[in-house]
Amino acid sequence: MHRFGKTGDAIVGEKSVTELCRHAVDMAMKDAGVSWKQVQAVSAASSRFSGGKGWGLNGNDIVEDLGCTGIPVYNLSAGCAAGGNAFNIGYSLVAGGIHDVVLVVGGEVMPKGMIQTSGVEDANDPEYLRQRCVGMPGPAFWATLARRRMFDFGTTEEQMAKVTVKARKCSESNPFARFQKAVSLDEVLASPYVSNPLRLFEICPVSNGAAAAVICSKEMARRFTSKPITVATSAVATIGFDDALPRSLAGPVPSGPSFHTEAKSAVMKAFERSGIGPRDISFTELQDNTCYYELAFPEEWGLCEPGEAERLLEAGETAPTGRMPINPSGGFVSFGEATTAMGVFQIAELTWQLRGQAGGRQVPDAKVGLAQTNGLGGNATAAILKR
Amino acid sequence: MTERDTMNELANTAALREPCVPGLFSEEEGARLHGARCTCCNTPYFPRVATCRNPACEESKIVPCTFGGEGRLWSYSVADFPPPLPHRYDKPFVPYAIGVVDLDSGLRVVGQMVDPVEVMRVGARVRLVIEPIHHEDGKAFTSWKFKLL
Repeated sequence: MHRFGKTGDAIVGEKSVTELCRHAVDMAMKDAGVSWKQVQAVSAASSRFSGGKGWGLNGNDIVEDLGCTGIPVYNLSAGCAAGGNAFNIGYSLVAGGIHDVVLVVGGEVMPKGMIQTSGVEDANDPEYLRQRCVGMPGPAFWATLARRRMFDFGTTEEQMAKVTVKARKCSESNPFARFQKAVSLDEVLASPYVSNPLRLFEICPVSNGAAAAVICSKEMARRFTSKPITVATSAVATIGFDDALPRSLAGPVPSGPSFHTEAKSAVMKAFERSGIGPRDISFTELQDNTCYYELAFPEEWGLCEPGEAERLLEAGETAPTGRMPINPSGGFVSFGEATTAMGVFQIAELTWQLRGQAGGRQVPDAKVGLAQTNGLGGNATAAILKR
Repeated sequence: MTERDTMNELANTAALREPCVPGLFSEEEGARLHGARCTCCNTPYFPRVATCRNPACEESKIVPCTFGGEGRLWSYSVADFPPPLPHRYDKPFVPYAIGVVDLDSGLRVVGQMVDPVEVMRVGARVRLVIEPIHHEDGKAFTSWKFKLL
């Protein structure tokens, strides 16, 4: 991984996305003991939104930088879920017997400010219509869901702020996090609203950063290590027809609760395929674009009971040493979001945790880790790794 | 009255009102969203679609229809900072609420709220209206919004 930062700071400075990725790829290959010539394919996460807007990573640039060996490159686009999608394709190529060694990479140099999801004035682009006719900035999606949770479960703003306090505490011992300083509840509650009820410290900013992973077949992995980390499964899903939040301007009123159908579907598929259930999970890295998700997701996936998340949080059970550790890395709230790197950053954290190399944020005796991403356009991924 | 106020008042007269995107809605016969409905599975759509998107629908039978009237505020958020382009707004920027509304006709639709953030509450009854979202070149560019009842 390359530590996350923002353009111009002491961490990433003016580094290009290729430089950031090179650093992450070199580190991943060194960690695995794999040389570039042994890599048989690259699965890269690419940030392209509907309407053609996008920036950043192109896997072909990475291959050129490392030396054109003529191997296949897959550029995957799925909004903020792209890293998870790239991991899934890498995994599928190896699991399906097509290749023995695949490199997965994601990285971004993000434009400043709120993510502009539509760059074209095209009335056929749902993002254009939503921004032009309504003006719904990215964080408003999360705020809508958070507000509804407050209505359904009585969640308070203070409880949501406590998620950030927990996350930033974890980040103190993560050398790759952009923010590595704990924050107090008062500091979180004093930060301004970005989209009421969500505040600045409760929402991930945009960051620059990169992450990479090497996936090998079981036979190949034995050549490099006696204790490989196993990918139990990797799953991809998209949004359901009756999702609670319209993907565009409108949808039918759903017949019952149907939150985050893409994320739930990906995680349920992962449980089903791996034969691993929610009670077997030692810890979870989930996509906390905002602290709200740390409360909602574990309930929807059966990691805990509906309406129980706030109590578990306040009892310290979501900390690395608790019963249901969530985002021991510090999560997006501590890293900021370098969109396409996120799904791969989670794989790196799962690997370190499962090897017992996570230092002060280590989940004791971590055996099975769950990773999940969500992306604009109705994308989601899940992966389960075990030692 | 400042020059700007005068301009805005003028712009609010029907002749100078212009939809921010043409063809999506109208106000001549009351505030209406121009959508469609599948007569086979009863799924409502806005904007219009060519074919039914309900995976459970047996046969796509799309007919144009319009939506308006009343509904209930399912949830809302706030734009505390101005969204980036292509959104346009009057300066100085005033934070506004964005509602997700369940119209009684079965359509869940997003839209700006007319009333200030402080009076928003989940579950409130609302009505669809057409109102200006910004002023430019002496014109009021309109969109659909929701007003608390």
